[in-house]
Amino acid sequence: MKRLIIGIAIAAAALGAAAPAQADVDTDFTNELHTYGIYGQKDFNAWIAKITCKRLNKGVDHTAADSAKFIHDQLVLDSTTQQAYQFLGAGLRLYCPDKLPILTQAAQPS
Amino acid sequence: MLRKASIAAAALSCAAMIFPAAASADATDDYPIPNRIMRTTCTVDQYMAATRDTDPVYYERYMIDYRNRPADVQTGARNRIYWFFSLDYAGRRQYSENTATNVYYEFMATRWGNWAKLFFNNKGVVAHATDVCMNYPPSDPSVWTWTTTP
Repeated sequence: MKRLIIGIAIAAAALGAAAPAQADVDTDFTNELHTYGIYGQKDFNAWIAKITCKRLNKGVDHTAADSAKFIHDQLVLDSTTQQAYQFLGAGLRLYCPDKLPILTQAAQPS
Repeated sequence: MLRKASIAAAALSCAAMIFPAAASADATDDYPIPNRIMRTTCTVDQYMAATRDTDPVYYERYMIDYRNRPADVQTGARNRIYWFFSLDYAGRRQYSENTATNVYYEFMATRWGNWAKLFFNNKGVVAHATDVCMNYPPSDPSVWTWTTTP
């Protein structure tokens, strides 16, 4: 009986001390997009970000300008180039940070 | 008099219900295969590369589905779509008619129901891609291996 109570106590403690729920990355991405005035379906936007990474990995796109164009074509018609780059920055940071250097390359005068 | 006429009309409509015209399942110029895919001069590879850029999620879904098929189904689907693209407009129109009127005509569909989804099933996707497909290289085997490597 005592053991059972101790067991329950341990389980309850574990529940109480559970780590706070981890927000999933797609939600973080959506929230960030909202600050740029980019809306639309959460899953769609997340998938576009992942495909953006994949295109860079596979060599379909090479530069930030390539990626921004790809993204701009997927956003609603009146989206701006600035929004496309904001989407790109957030997408790279959350889904493939190893590709972030393409942004700094784009910033350097060639 | 009115009553007689209405009875006659009712009888007629009953007859119409009993003897309906043979269901017409003929193909049209847009169904089941969109007109633009029958008229395009692009190659399969050009068209697929275009969908990769114009409707990336649709392309991604098709390629995931493709990758999850057995190897012989993948080969069959690939060969079948290249064969379709080798036909001229009249041949493609006839193929459209054949698939519309005979559900067993397309043998690939018995192995993989959505084998040509990227090409036939969505007019919007076809319209976007056929607008720009001529700008892509005619031969590009990488369009078929999109999902094989992460």
